[in-house]
Amino acid sequence: MKMRYMPKFTFSILLILASFLVIAQNKKTDSIPSKIEKYGIRFGTDISKLAQSFYDKNYKGIEFVGDYRVTKNYYLAGELGNENTTVEDDRLSFTAQGTYLKIGFDYNSYENWLDMRNMIYLGMRYGASTFSQTLNSYKLYNTSTYFPEAPTVQSGEKYNGLTSQWIEVVLGLKTELVKNVYLGFSVRLNRLLTNTKPDNFDNLYIPGFNRTYNGDFGIGFNYSVSYFLPLYKTKSSSKKESKKK
Amino acid sequence: MKKIYLLFICLLSISFSSCEKDDICEATTATTPKLIIEFYDILNPLVKKNITNLALKEINSTASLVFNGTSKIQIPLKTNQDLTKYSFILNSTDVAIKNEDFLLFNYSRQTVFVSRACGFKTNFTLDSTLPFIKTETSIPDGYWIQNVVIIKSNITNENEIHAKIYF
Repeated sequence: MKMRYMPKFTFSILLILASFLVIAQNKKTDSIPSKIEKYGIRFGTDISKLAQSFYDKNYKGIEFVGDYRVTKNYYLAGELGNENTTVEDDRLSFTAQGTYLKIGFDYNSYENWLDMRNMIYLGMRYGASTFSQTLNSYKLYNTSTYFPEAPTVQSGEKYNGLTSQWIEVVLGLKTELVKNVYLGFSVRLNRLLTNTKPDNFDNLYIPGFNRTYNGDFGIGFNYSVSYFLPLYKTKSSSKKESKKK
Repeated sequence: MKKIYLLFICLLSISFSSCEKDDICEATTATTPKLIIEFYDILNPLVKKNITNLALKEINSTASLVFNGTSKIQIPLKTNQDLTKYSFILNSTDVAIKNEDFLLFNYSRQTVFVSRACGFKTNFTLDSTLPFIKTETSIPDGYWIQNVVIIKSNITNENEIHAKIYF
């Protein structure tokens, strides 16, 4: 099943990498004058989770995002969130609820002009989640149609104390909408490291990791609005840059 | 700046394409198993014997499962009750020689998680003291089922024989 969406995803990743190349090529002909680099802390929230909490009665979620510019291109980055989601599939319905934390870095590969502070970044995260799952109801799968299908079984069984750890590869953008206010978007390819599964059930949705497929991989994304709080400034020029390299 | 918006759109499309449903329970997945019965010759107990026009009807159902020219049959058990009673009618198409016996299977059920797409399945464990009860119809026509032997009381898959019937 995993194989079905992987080629599409790989293709999309390649497409993005290709567009990186185009940007990189353009960069060579651009002259970059000296400019002020601002360093500081940026914090915000994921608006897609916020919006979904309003229109989707089965979902309540919030995610705080933040990063701190360490060097010219490296940012210490992280997310902290809580999700409560009920998934109603054909065969079963369950509720996953829990808190997660992701810590890592972003590398900005976008060379800004003048005083622009946009980002096209590649990053990594270590993620951990502690959560519970409640099996609301399920159906028994029976290939025989001799007996009428058994009615949906109401369960309500709760599986507590579940934990998962994973790593994420992040690909994202941040663009400054108005002064110090950023709109961001990122996609994440996740891979589980550890996953404590309940007896006779599976972790079908892990808060922060997103839904799980049959394997260890998952996909996530976020849209964020964040505010940049400048702490200090440095001056950099293109000549200095080339000497460093 | 234009490129950054282009990338935005590109990333947006990925986020939606990854939301595709792939939740179809594959036919090859082992789900609720059927009871597998193999028929043997009572006079020559090591030799399999084919049944002819064997009609199986669960006593509260109207439809019949008909098997012919085979020594191995698969029959579904009820997943909402701990017993299933079938009427086994041999030579069901021939009024002159047809013979009906009842077999009631006693079991306990276990609900086992399969996958997100398939949900759960039921495994059965035949009762250790009284796995089956053989009874005669109201018009006694003699038993055609001579002997029933339980080979495997844990019914968890359809790859093994659970019971042998000698006739």
